[in-house]
Amino acid sequence: MTALSEIGFVALSASLLAVGVFGILTRRNFILLLIAIEIAMNAAILNFVYFAAFAHGPGGLTGQAIAVVVIGFAATEVAVGLGIVLALNRLKGTINVARATELKL
Amino acid sequence: MSLAEIAFVLLALIAVATASAALLVRELVHTILWIAIFFVDLSAIYFLLNAPFLGVLQLGVYAGAVTILLLFGIMTTRKRIFSREAATGIGPVAFGLAVVTFIFLVAALGEFPQGEVPITSYDPAALSTNLFNVNGPWLLLLGLIMLAAVGGAIYLVREGRE
Repeated sequence: MTALSEIGFVALSASLLAVGVFGILTRRNFILLLIAIEIAMNAAILNFVYFAAFAHGPGGLTGQAIAVVVIGFAATEVAVGLGIVLALNRLKGTINVARATELKL
Repeated sequence: MSLAEIAFVLLALIAVATASAALLVRELVHTILWIAIFFVDLSAIYFLLNAPFLGVLQLGVYAGAVTILLLFGIMTTRKRIFSREAATGIGPVAFGLAVVTFIFLVAALGEFPQGEVPITSYDPAALSTNLFNVNGPWLLLLGLIMLAAVGGAIYLVREGRE
């Protein structure tokens, strides 16, 4: 790796997390919510991959291994999320999460 | 400024711009297009970090599978694919919270390793050894959770459930 600065990577990761948090808090469409969660998760994965380069020795690639596992988890989460989208659409005729109030008392 | 640094700055700007655009455009299909560019851009960053296996995984899983899955979700939940989303404004609370998150992360910068020498190149074989030996239980857990998720997703979308 060339000397890419930590500040640049942390700033990029933090910006992506901020964008993701913003999306999660403001959007009401379920698919947009899923996309916002994906952006936030990618920010975390980027951190794992970058800081893996600083761990020498036999455990040095653990950051990348964790990134592989997290990518798998993210794909799983999208599959289940889309299952919920389809069920919600069938039940309510809309995928606006503000209308999904079945569990409210 | 070296060539890699210039490339990183450009890719980082594209990443933030496309992620913001994906959440701010009005048409959902345009959102999918922006997010596809975002995933490809992140995969380029992984290649820049000498993590080619993760770059390929990002291309295959995110830019390939997740994007198409989201597109299917849009196709199956609306009659006309191009239909505008009702605008949801940018709430000041949400924006403020995002800014606070950003400030917290930048404030933690002093904790990071300074002056450490990063590893210059990776052996993909070493990654697979790490993945299947040291982190084998995590991979097993991932498989089990994926199995449960497939069952749950099928249960959610099957016909005739009331």
